[in-house]
Amino acid sequence: MKWEKLGQIFDFDKSPFKKRFVSHAQSPQALVFDDFVRIYFSTRKKEDNELFISHVQFIDTSKDFKKIVNYSENEVISLGNLGCFDEHGIFPINPVRIKDKIYAYTSGWARRDSVAIDTGIGLTVSNDNGNTFKRIGEGPVLSATLHEPFLILDGFVRKFNDVFYMFYIFGKKWTKETKQDKSERVYKIGYATSIDGINWVKANKSIIEDKIDENECQALPSVIKIRERYHMYFCYRSMLGFRKDKTKAYRLGYAYSDDLINWIRDDNNFVFKEQPSAWDHNMMCYPNVFKLNSEVYLLYNGNDFGKHGFGLARLENI
Amino acid sequence: MFKWKKIRHIFNPTTIENRPIWMNEFAQAPNTLIFENFVRVYFSCRPRRLKNGQFTTHSTFLDLDIKDLTKIIYISNKPVLKLGKKGCFDEFGTYPFSPIKTNDRFLAFYAGWTRCVSVPFDIAIGICESKDAKVYKKLGDGPVLSASLNEPFTISSPKIRKFNDMYYLFYVSGSKWNLINNRKEMALKIRAAKSVDGFNWTRFDKNIIEDKLGLTESQASPDVIFKNGKYHMFFDYWSSESFRKTKYRTLGYAYSKDLINWTREDSKVGITVSQEKNAFDNEMIAYPHVFEIDKKIYMLYLGNEVGRYGFGLAKLEGELT
Repeated sequence: MKWEKLGQIFDFDKSPFKKRFVSHAQSPQALVFDDFVRIYFSTRKKEDNELFISHVQFIDTSKDFKKIVNYSENEVISLGNLGCFDEHGIFPINPVRIKDKIYAYTSGWARRDSVAIDTGIGLTVSNDNGNTFKRIGEGPVLSATLHEPFLILDGFVRKFNDVFYMFYIFGKKWTKETKQDKSERVYKIGYATSIDGINWVKANKSIIEDKIDENECQALPSVIKIRERYHMYFCYRSMLGFRKDKTKAYRLGYAYSDDLINWIRDDNNFVFKEQPSAWDHNMMCYPNVFKLNSEVYLLYNGNDFGKHGFGLARLENI
Repeated sequence: MFKWKKIRHIFNPTTIENRPIWMNEFAQAPNTLIFENFVRVYFSCRPRRLKNGQFTTHSTFLDLDIKDLTKIIYISNKPVLKLGKKGCFDEFGTYPFSPIKTNDRFLAFYAGWTRCVSVPFDIAIGICESKDAKVYKKLGDGPVLSASLNEPFTISSPKIRKFNDMYYLFYVSGSKWNLINNRKEMALKIRAAKSVDGFNWTRFDKNIIEDKLGLTESQASPDVIFKNGKYHMFFDYWSSESFRKTKYRTLGYAYSKDLINWTREDSKVGITVSQEKNAFDNEMIAYPHVFEIDKKIYMLYLGNEVGRYGFGLAKLEGELT
């Protein structure tokens, strides 16, 4: 499958968000409206203690992605209450239309003492056409279980054949090379199913085979059905060295399935026509695939985990 | 009203000579398994607090002579369960610990503690198994019951039971952390879930015991026994608002015909703090566990400072009706 790069379509540093936030526009996720495409993302504020907190915001673009026609000026989702799973940030957010409502699955972050964070997946609903969202409960709808002990996040939900599927990631271990290092995490892609979108049954397995090694970190699964086949886009990286060494940094991966259960990894069949450009030559991550009219598009972040914004690609021939 | 006769303060960890570091103080949350010749009592201890006030909790056991429950015949010198791995829900504590015998093994549900940044801790419930009831092995690195939509944190105080071929887990969950006198405190409420296999749980998703002290009432140790045609629950409760000042924590009682609908009737509980000046339980009694031996009903319970100096034993005079 060949993709045509349409370039960086949102530059944080040139955006009005720069006045209210410090940096980043991570994990762009699209929701198509009649006259525009809304792209939600997570941007950052800095707290007094110098730590970052992710907040959800959005832009509306024209359907040719050439013009930003509107953007959020207020809070889209509040942070969770004291002690809740989403107290210290929401990143990413996955919007989805279910019947006549807009829901969003959130990945909530809460700080921990011995490791940096733990996370869970929450559910919010919008009563104002996607401008703001309210959580349907204080706790998560998907959290740690016996064989997925921590770091449940990156939920991506779609309804296929009358069943809700959630693709998400779960933590395998926290580990470090030397005593002085900070603990780093290893996480894999899994899935769960649900009849109502609220109560989920986990499959309890890693569904995408590793390419680098057993410590490969896989994130942000995004799935689309094209004809009778399901296509998954995700990102993956090495456990260590991924921040500075571009050979270990996030890049995009691909897998396909005909039954949503068994996935065949096929990164070689995921090709960009163009060479890497200045904004995405070190890293590509956090993909979000969606249909608009009869085209298939892919939003993604470039260098520095989306510090500077996001870009778009279009599938050349379906 | 039930009539409980306090027998005596049967275990005080702080008086044990050459005890392990992790058994320095506290013997919390007694829960029993009954064997032919002895009653095994599981409980949870703490080493000295670190300078920053943090501590870990470790569960262990002792055995009481079944013919004379005031007689300790064995005290284990190691924890029944290891602390969790890095980043896991039970990295800093395993307390309380509630065992049950199944056809081919012993299972136990325990509360695992992790440390947070904005609040002191979070808690979720794990599961472990044992062949000998002495050493337990976790069945996974993660919890079997953790935060959910309407139970956002501190899923704790498990009590596992099996009635009519169905497992029931009584536990508590928090719903809101409040800032009270510059301390972060929360109200815990008794909840329940049921399961066919002990692994996949359906939550009742509601508070099953009505409040007596209002929204800031905390409840714990929902200990259920079936006797004379109904289910009896002994638990403890306190005001999360005034607890640090009053230290008052005492026992409540509720009964049910169906395990779902509970009627609270604290006036029946029939046991309270001691009046004696030096008694180990003259400020509070907490964390009840009720069990039956030879048709006699007994209760283990914690004394002052939530069991810092261990637990006592009481015997019911008359019937649980």
